[in-house]
Amino acid sequence: MAIAALAGPTVTQEAPRKKSRIALVLLLPGIFYLVLFFIVPFISLVITSLQVPSETNFGQFDTAFNWQTYVDVVGQYSTQILRSFFFALLATVFALLFSYPLAYFIGVKARRWPLLQGLMLVLVIAPFFISFLLRTLAWKQILSDEGFVVSALKALSVLGPQDHITGTPVAVVFGLTYNFIPFMCLPLYTTLERLDVRYLEASNDLYAGPFATFRKVTIPLSLPGIVSGTLLTFIPAAGDYVNASSEFLGGSSSTMMGNVIQSNFLVQLNYPAAAALSIILMAIILVIVSAYVRRSGTDDLL
Amino acid sequence: MVAGSFAEAGADLELVGLHKRFPGFTAIDDLSLTVPAGSFFALLGPSGCGKTTTLRLVAGLEEPTSGQVLIGGKDVTGMKPFQRPVNTVFQSYALFPHMTVIENVAFGLRRRKVGDPVGKAHEALRLVELDHLAARKPLQLSGGQQQRVALARAVVNRPALLLLDEPLGALDLKLRRQMQLELKTIQTEVGLTFVHVTHDQEEAMTMADTVAVMNKGAIEQMGAPEELYELPKTVFVANFLGQSNLFTGPVVESTADTIAVDIAGTRIVVPNSRAQVHTGTVTVGVRPEKLSLLMENPVAVAGQNVIGPGRVIDVSFSGVSTQYIVEVPRLGSMVCFAQNMVFGPVANLGAQVWLSWMVDHGFGLADVAEQAGAKQIGTAEDLTALDSEAVV
Amino acid sequence: MNKRQLPEDPMIRRLVQQARQSQVTRRTVLAGAGASAAALALAACTPGGSKPKFTSPADTSATDKTLTWANWALYLDQDADGKYPTLVEFEKQSGIKVKYDVAVDDNNTYYAKVKDQLALGQDIGADTVCLTDWMASRLINLGYTQKLDHAKIPNIKNLNPNLRNVDFDKGRNYSLPWQSGFAGLAWNKDKIPNGLKQVSDLWDPALKGRVGVLSEMRDTMGLIMLEQGVDISSKGWGDAEFTKAIDEFQKQVKSGQIRNIKGNSYADDLKNEDTLAAIVWSGDVTSINAEVGSEKFGFAIPETGGTLWSDNYLIPIGSPRKANAEKLINYYYDPTVAATVAAYVNYITPVAGAKEAMQSIDPTLAENQLIFPNESTLATVKGFRTLTNAEQSKYSAQFEAVGLGA
Repeated sequence: MAIAALAGPTVTQEAPRKKSRIALVLLLPGIFYLVLFFIVPFISLVITSLQVPSETNFGQFDTAFNWQTYVDVVGQYSTQILRSFFFALLATVFALLFSYPLAYFIGVKARRWPLLQGLMLVLVIAPFFISFLLRTLAWKQILSDEGFVVSALKALSVLGPQDHITGTPVAVVFGLTYNFIPFMCLPLYTTLERLDVRYLEASNDLYAGPFATFRKVTIPLSLPGIVSGTLLTFIPAAGDYVNASSEFLGGSSSTMMGNVIQSNFLVQLNYPAAAALSIILMAIILVIVSAYVRRSGTDDLL
Repeated sequence: MVAGSFAEAGADLELVGLHKRFPGFTAIDDLSLTVPAGSFFALLGPSGCGKTTTLRLVAGLEEPTSGQVLIGGKDVTGMKPFQRPVNTVFQSYALFPHMTVIENVAFGLRRRKVGDPVGKAHEALRLVELDHLAARKPLQLSGGQQQRVALARAVVNRPALLLLDEPLGALDLKLRRQMQLELKTIQTEVGLTFVHVTHDQEEAMTMADTVAVMNKGAIEQMGAPEELYELPKTVFVANFLGQSNLFTGPVVESTADTIAVDIAGTRIVVPNSRAQVHTGTVTVGVRPEKLSLLMENPVAVAGQNVIGPGRVIDVSFSGVSTQYIVEVPRLGSMVCFAQNMVFGPVANLGAQVWLSWMVDHGFGLADVAEQAGAKQIGTAEDLTALDSEAVV
Repeated sequence: MNKRQLPEDPMIRRLVQQARQSQVTRRTVLAGAGASAAALALAACTPGGSKPKFTSPADTSATDKTLTWANWALYLDQDADGKYPTLVEFEKQSGIKVKYDVAVDDNNTYYAKVKDQLALGQDIGADTVCLTDWMASRLINLGYTQKLDHAKIPNIKNLNPNLRNVDFDKGRNYSLPWQSGFAGLAWNKDKIPNGLKQVSDLWDPALKGRVGVLSEMRDTMGLIMLEQGVDISSKGWGDAEFTKAIDEFQKQVKSGQIRNIKGNSYADDLKNEDTLAAIVWSGDVTSINAEVGSEKFGFAIPETGGTLWSDNYLIPIGSPRKANAEKLINYYYDPTVAATVAAYVNYITPVAGAKEAMQSIDPTLAENQLIFPNESTLATVKGFRTLTNAEQSKYSAQFEAVGLGA
């Protein structure tokens, strides 16, 4: 919701007064939902992040104003924090590079064959029908040391005899990319599907070759899809803990923020640290995303 | 990258034996024509006649099945659109919505790395009197303004050939008339070769030096507008370009100068020089405004055709003239335009009248009309709705 | 400490020794309860604050013939169809429908999942759960468990009498052992034909990136500390010893020698050969071998010693089916049933008479050191001493930091 507000010029037109009461009634469920499931938990999270361990009850925390927790977690986990955003960025870029041609083909080139279009869309969406965890586990098996992928890469000397894929940053970025491709592909498809090819013809007619047309016309016209696709990929990828978890594709050299939060919350039972990390994660995402949306909202992005 | 010169004056366009087949139908069937450099050429025809496809073949947006496209004597058939010295003003304008007006106009110049693209773009916008809106986005402009930006965007490149694909189709009548004049003025000023595609016969005749009437993927007749109007050679042209009263019957008499055709007992004489066929069954015709409406049976005079009596079944007043529809027994209904020289109609509804015209005003066609009598051809406005010629 | 005569049975003796070292006593808890009024007031509105005064819900076992049992993976006899034969038999005998839920992968993560409901005295979706000594101790002391009715568990007579008085649960009013086991070394026999003898064999450069260890801190750190000459069961060690072991652990993780730090799911890594050698729990190796259909994996207690632990039945405070759970516990305290389970899971059964029952099931297993360890086997294992709360927090943070690469 915050993102939408940042996305464009605010609509200041006021609805007629008579309708405002109806509008309010219609908004109530949404407001109620936000308050109950966002505002209240968020306040609770902030309070938790400032708590101190109880002196008397082991495993309990007392309300305090201990902002030192924030300093501590940033100091201790700066590598993981930076890594989360770096991995998310890489996954977003790879997902975009992979999805754009695919979405372009489905949305533009395959227009003449609706059946093919439908089939390819199903193929993009089909992985959604299988649990995210199962798919990731399947990749863990495929990429395992004695699996054919690693064997093949070793035979080709791409990997050394002692190298492996699972548990490395490569596997984690791969997993993130793979898992978020549909989130990238679908918004891209919906904008590209509406792309008016007459603009491309006009560009061609005005001496722009395929590359210049792509850069100057196709990309700017599909920018809404690129922006929503990258956001839908980047935000969850930055907070993802499944791919980087050692139960799945990660290891101790590829830990992301989600894993740090999980460990602090579930294992170390250090709730203030987990809460502080969650708030930091939210804050950084909010800053990055609002800067990005503002920038791409203007036309001189490209 | 861009081949071809960008001459100050336009280049001529030559189409040689052009064919274009789409799955299931033939859009262009053996089309050959030459458009002289610097002329304003109109391709006129109804929806689906292949005129837009022809334009797209010239622009390079479609590849011909066979045949050649030559611009300034150079074969461009195998060239990509961006390599051809051709620009198009699209029916939808296709102005880039994400760019300002000035960037739209400068687009082609920037791609060709022409010096001072912005300066030249402003110049082109001044030509269409829109320089004050240079910083706007296309969607903030009215239809007429967008049309002019599209024109400026094409003209600014000084292409050897400027293609206009029904660019006025989306405008209202008054604006369209105004833009027709502006286009003509600009063409004269910049001296480029314009190829204009339209289904509006009036527009074609107003603007073009040469009009080619297209039907079913081929050119029916090509020539100066007056020539096409005064001497149509086919039923299609006679009916599509203006209105005609047509009669079909056998040739019953042939002299050195004329032929006489028997139409259900009435003799109609046509000069040999104005008839395409001189024997057998022929279709002859006359334009409605050439007819004189007579209240009495006139005395037979050489050099005049007379038919009647008939009955006026419709009178419609349109300011400059009045249109009468006259039902003549055995000949069908005929259309007659009479200038409003007096107040009120010359003949009232139901009146008995005779129609006459000078033999020299009649014409004989190369093909035979399916139905005798006047044929009402839909106006340009009616066809607009049907025009879905654009082939993806 | 009051030295009592240790029982004859070496395994029981070992377990009793371990249990005696439990430091969390009722006194500690009472001290917590006696804190200032303000702290109490605060605790009242904080989930799990202080010693809760829970009342367990009314027992609906008489009408509700169902039961959910949360347990660890590879911890119950299973046939080719995925059914649990002893459990099927129990259902037939008792008429109680049992949902066997493999929900525990790690004491910590399981605790974190259910602690909020426990603190509110609510049903956690399990009527009985088996957790390791130290976690059982925490739950009992927090008042999160229901008192067992020994009258309803007549087979409790088969629990070796000496095990009835562990320090964290004197008289076994709240917990009963399910299985005990060792943490030791496992290896892939195809890849490591010579096997492993000590923890440092895991650090062989040839195994770089192919080693897994347990996310259960007491087992992984216990083995490393034992190799460093620390008696993990004695109170004589502290931060210095633990930190020294952490340094070694960290070195092996940082260098990429250790690939994975996991709970029960380490089995998948052994099976797909991402890891070739690992610190594992004794009985699992048998189950994994059964799954792959060959004696592919070997197990050994390191020469410098392994760890010994027990998992204990607990009945969570919110369960309304206590009587059903007690029936289940009673059933599994039957020596024949216990022997059947032990023959499959290869863990140490706490049920006296099981060894005799095993003679008729599979005499060779009666001599299996992983199920019925003798004196010399037990001499090689130690229980991890109970940690103070401060130690628990500190060590857990240190251990986790290594896994997170922080």
